[in-house]
Amino acid sequence: MKPAPFDYHAPTTAEEAVALLAELGDTAKLIAGGQSLVPMLALRLAVFEHLVDLGRVENLRGIERVGDSLRVGATTTQSAVERSEVAADAVPLLARATPLIGHVQIRNRGTVGGSLAHADAAAEYPAVALALDAEMEVLSPTGRRTVASPDFFTGLWSTAVGDDELLTAVRFPVWSGRCGFAIREFARRHGDFAIAGAAVAVELDGDDRVRRGTIALFGLGPSAQRSDPAEAALGGAAVDDVDADELGQVAVASLDSVPSDLHGSSAYRRRVGAAMVADAWRAASEEARHG
Amino acid sequence: MTPATAGLDGAAGRYTGSRVHRVEDPRLLRGRGTFVDDVVRPRMLHACFVRSPFARARLGAVDATEALALPGVHAVFTAADLNPGVHEAWYTSMGKDVPDTPRPPLAEGEARFVGDPVALVVASDRYVAEDAVELVDVDYDPLPALVDYHDGPQADALVHERYAGNVAGSLGAPCPDDLAAVFASAAHDVSVTIHQQAYAPVPLETRGIIVEWSGEELTVWAATQAPHEVRMFLARLLGVAEHQVRVIMRDTGGAFGQKVLPMREDMCVALAARLLPAPVKWIEDRRENLMAAGMSRHEHGDLRMGFDGDGRVVGAYIDHTQDVGAYPTPWPVGTAAAVGMLFPGPYRVPRAGFRTTSVFSNTSGRTAYRGPWQFESVAREVLLDIAARRMGIDPAEVRRRNLLRRDELPCTNPNGMPYSDISPAETFEQALAMLDYDAFRRQQAEAREHGRHLGVGTCTYVEPTTTGMAYYGTEGATIRIEPTGTVNVYVSGGSTGNSLETAVVQLTADALGVDLADVRTVQGDTAVTPFGAGTGGSRSGSMLAGAVAETAGVLRERIVAIAAHLLEASPDDIELGESRAQVRGTPAAAVPLAKIADVAYFAPAKLPDGVPAGLEASGRHHARNPMIWANATHVCTCEVDVTTGAVRLLRYIVSEDCGPMINPSVVEGQIAGGTVQGIGGALFEHLAYDEDGNPLTTTFMDYLLPTATEVPAIEYGHVETPGPGPGGFKGVGEGGAIGAPPAVVNAVADALAPFGVEITRLPLTPATIVELIEGAR
Repeated sequence: MKPAPFDYHAPTTAEEAVALLAELGDTAKLIAGGQSLVPMLALRLAVFEHLVDLGRVENLRGIERVGDSLRVGATTTQSAVERSEVAADAVPLLARATPLIGHVQIRNRGTVGGSLAHADAAAEYPAVALALDAEMEVLSPTGRRTVASPDFFTGLWSTAVGDDELLTAVRFPVWSGRCGFAIREFARRHGDFAIAGAAVAVELDGDDRVRRGTIALFGLGPSAQRSDPAEAALGGAAVDDVDADELGQVAVASLDSVPSDLHGSSAYRRRVGAAMVADAWRAASEEARHG
Repeated sequence: MTPATAGLDGAAGRYTGSRVHRVEDPRLLRGRGTFVDDVVRPRMLHACFVRSPFARARLGAVDATEALALPGVHAVFTAADLNPGVHEAWYTSMGKDVPDTPRPPLAEGEARFVGDPVALVVASDRYVAEDAVELVDVDYDPLPALVDYHDGPQADALVHERYAGNVAGSLGAPCPDDLAAVFASAAHDVSVTIHQQAYAPVPLETRGIIVEWSGEELTVWAATQAPHEVRMFLARLLGVAEHQVRVIMRDTGGAFGQKVLPMREDMCVALAARLLPAPVKWIEDRRENLMAAGMSRHEHGDLRMGFDGDGRVVGAYIDHTQDVGAYPTPWPVGTAAAVGMLFPGPYRVPRAGFRTTSVFSNTSGRTAYRGPWQFESVAREVLLDIAARRMGIDPAEVRRRNLLRRDELPCTNPNGMPYSDISPAETFEQALAMLDYDAFRRQQAEAREHGRHLGVGTCTYVEPTTTGMAYYGTEGATIRIEPTGTVNVYVSGGSTGNSLETAVVQLTADALGVDLADVRTVQGDTAVTPFGAGTGGSRSGSMLAGAVAETAGVLRERIVAIAAHLLEASPDDIELGESRAQVRGTPAAAVPLAKIADVAYFAPAKLPDGVPAGLEASGRHHARNPMIWANATHVCTCEVDVTTGAVRLLRYIVSEDCGPMINPSVVEGQIAGGTVQGIGGALFEHLAYDEDGNPLTTTFMDYLLPTATEVPAIEYGHVETPGPGPGGFKGVGEGGAIGAPPAVVNAVADALAPFGVEITRLPLTPATIVELIEGAR
């Protein structure tokens, strides 16, 4: 469990990092907190000739409220998010998802950008980004671009970030009004990757009808995903008319490629996923109604 | 009080029986322990194994050209290089005459499981060694593998050619006709097959060894439970005299049976060291540990138990089959007999029988693991709950009607196990009282009305500890009181996490009447410690207590004689305490131990007649009983979420009887550790393979150990029935791992009883529980 030899690069600016990527091509890999990458290197499941460390890159770290969104720098640690009052106030779903990530030691190293860019199917942050319609800031050798979250996650461990690009920040829209947010997941043990999970965001109008309702699932496919059928069922519905258990069933009914492994079959994951959607809906709608 | 038992009457000791702080902790908690990987030798090289990626493959040529060309690579050894160096390869505990199963250092002819070592790379560091491993080109010709031992007897594939039907051996007999007749005429004839999954000891520290060959002398640093066995085994392996080999272990980071005997990798490193000009270190990584350090617990039993109309047992039979993998360590057939012999457990069972069969498979080899026979308890206790529900009697009531009572002891169980000095009915009642069983039943009924599913499970077992047989039957100690009056105790022992240093220091301080702070112990170095069989079979507490008592008794007598002479008093009037000797009732008439030692070493002319100079002695305890019995009851309560299948443990209670306790904190620590491993076995841990024989759980992402968040605080009750050995102490190292799995399984089964679910297969993953509920609907 020792990694194969690699050259180590420690750029100090994002531009320098991107230039290195352009020069080194797919023999290079960015490393931030290393909580997923280092074990893969140690097991030699991944081998790269070059590692480009983002640890010394300036201006990639930090949490700030910018107008109607919360901007989180890519190398901001999960622990920093967990401790941030600004984050908890502006984007409660992000704050609530964070303690579910691994263990405290992992969150001390693991970064927001790393989690999004790694795009594990069972990770929490991609689901949060999807549920809130977050936008990703990406730097390439030719300039900056913004990627909407539905376009960002493209499949198993893959994103719209190119080999010569760097995710620099993520902007979470701040939802206002009568809103509620919840994330629920089921794991074999505290801190394990979820067998299945769901993040729900909901905004109600003055008549307790759903103005906006989003449901993001994780652990239930090759990547995190929004549940279109479940969201359609919510559209404009009176909150009292929504049956949480039925909503859960709708959310998982049309899923294809639900994973199956030692910890549970596809059918089992669907069952758990439905229960997580139902629980998250109950909590989020309750919060939206009563604050 | 005779010298041999001085200081061993438990409660009378100043330290023995109290919760003194562990003497190991100051170094371990400050990161100052010395584990094998902390040892660095001049010019030391590093080893890494090339392991088979196939469950079964014919081995062709090994081409190491590219690997050897890599800078920093010193050697690549194959079976042809190392295996001919073996002189003898048998374990002292088993003897050389057992029909042992194959255990070549490197795989010969065929690779027999994924992880089978086929070559050994030696390089300047482990990084280079791993780079080189990838460059070694082995010609594998994959063959059909026998992955599931259940298929063994019918399979075309043979794990070892000379074992027909893949059977390593069998003991016992099929259910005799007269016992079958007892079942047939019983009011309740309960048959069930119970399956247990493979899981493993998983010590925090993996295996590891450093071997340094300096011409005539071999020095070995090892992660081991038994340094003297490592020495004897390696001396035989290499064909050198025992006194040419020195084995040193300072700290070992857990072992639980996995490090009780040197295994194939240890053999390879020792053989390679002889061919190298420098010391060589091998530290197993976690992936190797989960892939190749062995598995345990993989077995099933076809069980039958008969009951009369009142729920009293009339007969019991187990047909046990165990997976021994490709290369079990040690010979697995004999040890499996304990499963059958202990199957009647702590109950009044008039008739019983057993058969046990060991079957090879193309998987990691079976190794010892904390209570290697624990399937007897899993099988019996899970069966008892199933039988109770079928009979419509509360599971606790069934046990109450069958548990052996004190007035029935000693007695011999129908399979020949001679029980004595046990208290199963007492631990059972104490544990249920700690829970308030009746109150829990009311709470459970109320919860069920609200759609919540609570359950309670128990396990009561008896356990043979401290075997007095052969190699394990004696244990030595040397005590040296220094001229200043401080004390050194030398025992084989060793620090593997079971607090033997603390225990020995406590016992010695009491036996000699000295302050705890004045006693130190040196353990685990074969050059300076007396021979001892190491930790295993829950023997160390009793055996070391005997060794200390035997030796301290000699010194105590000498100290008293010198003190009496110096104080001009009768030896009968001398008492020892607080590192001094005084005339009973006359505190002013006293002499410090330092003065006595000074006289003993430096003024022998002042010694009384017949008292030898110096205050050094060696003694050896000889166990006079074939075993010392311990017993316990585990009670567990849980809540099951029937949607997700999640099990949350609510309370966990252990009432045990290990006799008087040398240190209650150590006893409870041993129980806690074993219990958590047992909880892991019931709910989480599974050393799993896919159908091609690829291991699926080679990291802690997939091999799930229970952590602090999955385990409730464990509550302890103690019953103290002195055993027949020194101080009345009994073994307590293994029991937790025996009692926990059935208690947890029974609690879950109890929670799910309203669904009509019967649990017969471990582990109880959430997915499995959902499947059971859905299957019963």
